[in-house]
Amino acid sequence: MMPLATLRAEADNLARQLPAALLSADAADIVHPGAAGRRRAGSGEDFWQYRRYAQTDAADQIDWRRSARGDEYFVRETELETARSVLFWADPLAGFDWSGHGDRKTKAAHAKIIMLALATLLGKAGERIGILGGHRGPSVGKSAASRLGEDLLARPTRELSAPKTRAIAVLASDFYEGVETWTARIARLTTTCDRGVLFVVTDPVEHEFPFQGRTRLHLPGTATSRLLGRAEAARDIYLSKLDDHARDLDQLTGQTGWAVVRWRTDMPPLRGAAALLRAVEQFGARTT
Amino acid sequence: MTIGPLLFLAPLALTALLALPIVWWVLRATPPSPKHAELPSLRLLDGVEALDETPTRTPWWILLLRLAAAALVILGLALPVYAPGAGPTEPEHGPVLVVLDDGWASAARWSELRNAASATLDGAPADTAAHLLLTAPRTLNIDPSQRLSRIELDSRIKSLDPRPWPVDRAGALARLKESGLQPGRIVWLSDGLDPDSGDPFGEALREIAPLTIYAAPPRGPAAITGLLGSASGVEVSLYRAKADSEASHFVSALTLDGSALATATADFSAGSTEAIARFDLPPAALARIARFQVTGTSNAGTVWLWDSAARSRRIGLVSGDRTAQPLLSDMHYIRRALAPFSTIHEGDLISLIEGDPDAIILTDIGQIDLEAQTALIAWIEAGGALIRFAGPRLAARGDELVPTPLRRASRAIGGALTWEDPQPLGPFPTTSPFAGLAVPDNVTIRQQVLARPGPDLARRTWARLADGSPLVTADKRGAGMLVLFHVTAGPDWSDLPYSGVFVDMLRRAIAAGKGEAAAATDGLYVPTRTLNGYGQLEPPGADAAPLQADALADLVPSQTHPPGLYQGPSGARAVNIGATQQPPAMTNWPAGARLLGDSEAQTERLGGWLLSGAALLLLIDLLVALGVAGRLRRFQPQSAAAAIVLLALTLGTTGLAEAQSSTDKATEAALGLRLAYIETGDPDIDRTMRAGLEGLSLTLFNRSSVEPDKPHAVDPETDALDVYPLIFLTLPDTPAPLSPLAISRLNAYMRSGGAIFIDTRRGGMIGATDTFEGLNTALAGLDTPPLTPVPRDHVLSRSFYLLDDFPGRYSGRRLWIEETGSAKQTERRGDGVSRLFVGDADYLAAWAIDSNRRPLFSVDGGETQREMASRFGVNLVIYVLTGNYKEDQVHIPALLDRLGEDNPAGSRRREVIP
Repeated sequence: MMPLATLRAEADNLARQLPAALLSADAADIVHPGAAGRRRAGSGEDFWQYRRYAQTDAADQIDWRRSARGDEYFVRETELETARSVLFWADPLAGFDWSGHGDRKTKAAHAKIIMLALATLLGKAGERIGILGGHRGPSVGKSAASRLGEDLLARPTRELSAPKTRAIAVLASDFYEGVETWTARIARLTTTCDRGVLFVVTDPVEHEFPFQGRTRLHLPGTATSRLLGRAEAARDIYLSKLDDHARDLDQLTGQTGWAVVRWRTDMPPLRGAAALLRAVEQFGARTT
Repeated sequence: MTIGPLLFLAPLALTALLALPIVWWVLRATPPSPKHAELPSLRLLDGVEALDETPTRTPWWILLLRLAAAALVILGLALPVYAPGAGPTEPEHGPVLVVLDDGWASAARWSELRNAASATLDGAPADTAAHLLLTAPRTLNIDPSQRLSRIELDSRIKSLDPRPWPVDRAGALARLKESGLQPGRIVWLSDGLDPDSGDPFGEALREIAPLTIYAAPPRGPAAITGLLGSASGVEVSLYRAKADSEASHFVSALTLDGSALATATADFSAGSTEAIARFDLPPAALARIARFQVTGTSNAGTVWLWDSAARSRRIGLVSGDRTAQPLLSDMHYIRRALAPFSTIHEGDLISLIEGDPDAIILTDIGQIDLEAQTALIAWIEAGGALIRFAGPRLAARGDELVPTPLRRASRAIGGALTWEDPQPLGPFPTTSPFAGLAVPDNVTIRQQVLARPGPDLARRTWARLADGSPLVTADKRGAGMLVLFHVTAGPDWSDLPYSGVFVDMLRRAIAAGKGEAAAATDGLYVPTRTLNGYGQLEPPGADAAPLQADALADLVPSQTHPPGLYQGPSGARAVNIGATQQPPAMTNWPAGARLLGDSEAQTERLGGWLLSGAALLLLIDLLVALGVAGRLRRFQPQSAAAAIVLLALTLGTTGLAEAQSSTDKATEAALGLRLAYIETGDPDIDRTMRAGLEGLSLTLFNRSSVEPDKPHAVDPETDALDVYPLIFLTLPDTPAPLSPLAISRLNAYMRSGGAIFIDTRRGGMIGATDTFEGLNTALAGLDTPPLTPVPRDHVLSRSFYLLDDFPGRYSGRRLWIEETGSAKQTERRGDGVSRLFVGDADYLAAWAIDSNRRPLFSVDGGETQREMASRFGVNLVIYVLTGNYKEDQVHIPALLDRLGEDNPAGSRRREVIP
């Protein structure tokens, strides 16, 4: 388990290399109004600016009190005060907190770094970020990211329950627990989180299946094991099963409208973070 | 228990073979242990059942491998012995008698005999008793009835060594009969020689009990049987027992300390048992030979000790000629002829006779006074050899002490008033001791004394001229010999003293005296060094006893009189086995005896081999198990192959590299200028020297046109020194002397123009005033010219930089060079350039740099002094390289001045800096 400072440092480093998060305009529709000013025009209560009337503006948007002072029409704009909640969750299973090679970080560590980097970006962009299933609700501001970091390291609960408010869920796991299990879980979430990203983090060993000879394979964290007489003979079957699993995941997200981001721990983390950012930014547009 | 040629010492262990099926069943059910790995995605395989094709049974070949290993272990623990000949072929009763020939002839194949003796009990029941009978006689013989167990026999035989004297089989048989032992079986391990004693011995043994014989006669030459002085050296006779095919053997002539002076071959022709090795050696080398040995043998018989009787004789010289010209005197020629191989005493006749020399030589003494004559005659009759040379005095007034009556005049041939030509030597009569010497054709005799003809003259003549007149006559007087050369010992009358045959004639004439045979009255000879059974010289054992001189002649060596050197009143005498022992090989063995071939007498214990084989199989099994478990993956075949190739290359090239390096070194040094140093053996100092020379080389490279390559460390004993212009040498704190070879090579190097710089490094020691401390120890024998401190304005201070002082690491020290001014012109070496430099300021440390070109050591006066030290180094090398050119340059002002004396303009003084 890595210390919080390391997690923050790695995540900040990653976030610095990414462009600022900008959720799509359409995505703004699904957010609920919040208290934080967004420093741009939008729906809110505080005055932002007067702007000359344009043909596309509706007539009821004209601020008549200002317009009465001159010959031109003005539209009064308020500061955008909306934010959306993005909730993160990393799989606490021992199999996820596992690395195929001593030099590599575990899948969970990578996933947490990338998710925190994304959360940092989103926090800077004014979104509400938080842990899914934690005691604390999502929050905004500078402390939000460090609070999320603490929550991520403090082992989230195993069972997922739908948050009280609407939010986007980012679930990091290897999703090896079977598609049925995950379908059920996501179905529970979709009462409030009708949008979400499945961040599939895998280890290269799981793709290569480099075992040869007589091998006993253990499931990390459990007593489950399996003896293979000739492991190389099982490789083809395993790889086809892996492909089936990926297809099942795609099918699952297709049904629920969620997105899937796949990343292997031997890839650059920046790539994973960018893909995740893109998915979070864009899936609102995709679904409308 | 015996199965075929195999017998098992622990046959009960074989019952474990019954357990092999159980082992097979257990092994079959136990698959190799799997390798463990973690995989989080293992759940993906949850539904797959067909994957479990785990081999629940071990593959058959692994099973076979392990069963074979188990079987080998069991067989090995049963202690099998491969003994084709040792097993009893018939039921036997009673103990085994081991008869072992442990005489001198057994030494050649002693280990085989000993192995065969140890193997006699293999295959016999465990409680069989053994008895040992040794045929070489001892003062205290082992009682053959002593009962020995198997282990006792083994250890007893292992402690035995061959004896350096012959066997006495009749005596051994008598001892056996005396002991009353009735063996059930007899094994005779024989040296296979001497049928005279061997045949009846074998018959007698066979009558006592069933007899098995293993004979191991010496394969090569058995003995050196004799030594004969020849005209040009010595001839060594070799004897072998079996006259089979042609064979060549080498004989080495060894000095007292065992180094070989010469080697000669002895070729046995097919069917012959005798061979002769001829040594052509100068007398001076012959005098140093202490013994001859057949190369590659360790046997008392193949060593021939050469005693002083054969080598060095004591000779008395008396001259009647008191000439003032030593090089023209007769004695000079005799002395030069005899000096290399004899001890020469001079003095008056009476005292010489009292010293009892082997021979006395008188040159041209006319009359011997009566008292001396009486003593002389007594001495000759006691065995002395009196050799007289003629001359004007003898010709004028001879006495009676001559072998044959002489005429009262000398005969001159080839003179101005004679008709005849000077006469050459005629052939030596066959009865003469000179027979066999080559007759030189360039020796002429111009004058001689003539013998009166008489009936005995022909018999007494040892050499004559071509016209038949006697040149050397001799007569036996008592045990001694009286020899007369009818010419002078000098070249006045003949060319004979110039000739090489003169030396040989003198030697043989001297040997005609008692040198050949010791007088019986000579007293006791005490053993000083004796040979052991392996032909090595040792201090005599407690049993070796002194013996009378007359017993020496035909002595058969025994325990009390082992072969070796015996010191007596007339020098050391050798007792050699081969002189008396030349036994032929045995060919007729007693009928009914079982003869073992070489292979049958050997037994091979196989237990170790079988257990090793089992271990090897288990190792293979381990590798296979690792391979099955997939753990050998990191040892890729390519990397393994690369490792093997690398190993092979390393092993292969080391030798080559070593072989090449020495030639390369000289070539390298010849192709580029290099400074050289002699390693002291102290690693610190050697490193400093190398670093110092590297520093100096760098300085030279940067500042002058001298561009040296990397310095070389040279070994003055082996490396070519001439390719280096300057060799540096420092003394370690405790200098060890260089070897004489190194010193002589260094002297030759300096004579041929090389220069040596010696740094004694003593400058830094407190109170060190002596620059040369330790130098005498290290360089004792170095050809050192007179040395002087470097004078002011010497070329050394002008050759590149202008220097006032020659500082090294320490300042204010003096540098000594060869004194050139006072030495004679002929002794000047290297054109007056000093070839030897001796300093103590630790110059090399001042020059030393590390690999980053930074100085290694601090210097007394800081960087300024270091710079001065470097400048001195440059000056030194330039001085050595340019020779006297720079010296001439220094003198140019004087030369110009001298030229300018005629020229008014020449009065201007010019400073020239070379």
